[in-house]
Amino acid sequence: MILDLALIAMIAAVLIPLYTAWKTGDIWQTMLAFSSISTKTAVIILLVSVLRDDWMIGVAGVIILSVGNAGLMLLAQIIKRIEKL
Amino acid sequence: MISLIKLVSYVCIGVGIWFWFWGTLSLLNGRSVLFKLHTLSVGDTLGSILIIFGLLLLRPQEFPLLILAIISLTVWNTMLGYVIAYSSTSDEYDQVIEETLIEESLGRSGRESYE
Amino acid sequence: MIGEFILRLSIWFLLTANFTVANIIIGVVLAFFLPHYHAKPDRLRDILRTLSKVFVAVPVAYIEAVQMIFRPHIREEIVEERVSSRRSPGLIFLDIFLITFTPKTIVLRYYDAGWYAVHLVKPRRRVRTQPLKESLKN
Repeated sequence: MILDLALIAMIAAVLIPLYTAWKTGDIWQTMLAFSSISTKTAVIILLVSVLRDDWMIGVAGVIILSVGNAGLMLLAQIIKRIEKL
Repeated sequence: MISLIKLVSYVCIGVGIWFWFWGTLSLLNGRSVLFKLHTLSVGDTLGSILIIFGLLLLRPQEFPLLILAIISLTVWNTMLGYVIAYSSTSDEYDQVIEETLIEESLGRSGRESYE
Repeated sequence: MIGEFILRLSIWFLLTANFTVANIIIGVVLAFFLPHYHAKPDRLRDILRTLSKVFVAVPVAYIEAVQMIFRPHIREEIVEERVSSRRSPGLIFLDIFLITFTPKTIVLRYYDAGWYAVHLVKPRRRVRTQPLKESLKN
């Protein structure tokens, strides 16, 4: 019951960076919003796995967290190079 | 005893979600990218660590993977913060930093020689 | 060398969570035969000091987070921080990690001469709020 409420609150928290990514024009603010979304969704996956008592979902969440934000780091470097051109 | 552990874990998850909201709501105001990085570091990194710690108390038999999750979350998020801070500041900014550094070091060495 | 070995082995055990003999042997062999990373070895004292700082950094980070939540930090500043040059890449990584992990400070740049440019947030000055309150009373 409490975890259900927590899940709803977390989904509400994900909506904020989604809104930011939609509204903002600056590329770096968008990157911030996306990094925030990626962390939050991975943690939500872990919570859902505990809620449904299914650890296979949790393994997926741990894999997502440990692979991490490598793509976003690469993207940040590429955007910096492009801005230099 | 079990209910105490559950209580602690719910408190951890609740405080973590509170951190999330506090850190993420600052995305909406018009501050600089670097300022938002500070608040996101509170919200995402520290809040998520608290939430996963709460889950760890609820599900102690899976502790190795959850600890791995906490460690990798910390390292990745912190390094992503550094990379975004590094690359979102342009090279003119770099020059400004270097000038202030040189000035400060000159001031310091000047003061030292004065003393 | 030995630190690298311990790091790899602990990651292996966290990943697999399995302490049978076969798994321990696989982990030891993997940790030993993965390509090694050549660098000048650091002094043990430096490594121990930095690692102890990592454990201190976690409560410090939470304290700073609570401070930032309850007292709005609105001033931004860039300061320089000096470290001894000639540190190995591993220690520089740990330093940058430590500074960036605490929420009030973020490393912007690292200069080879041994500087970090650190961006930090500060609370509003108290000196200014004091006369404001008095003027509100009047």
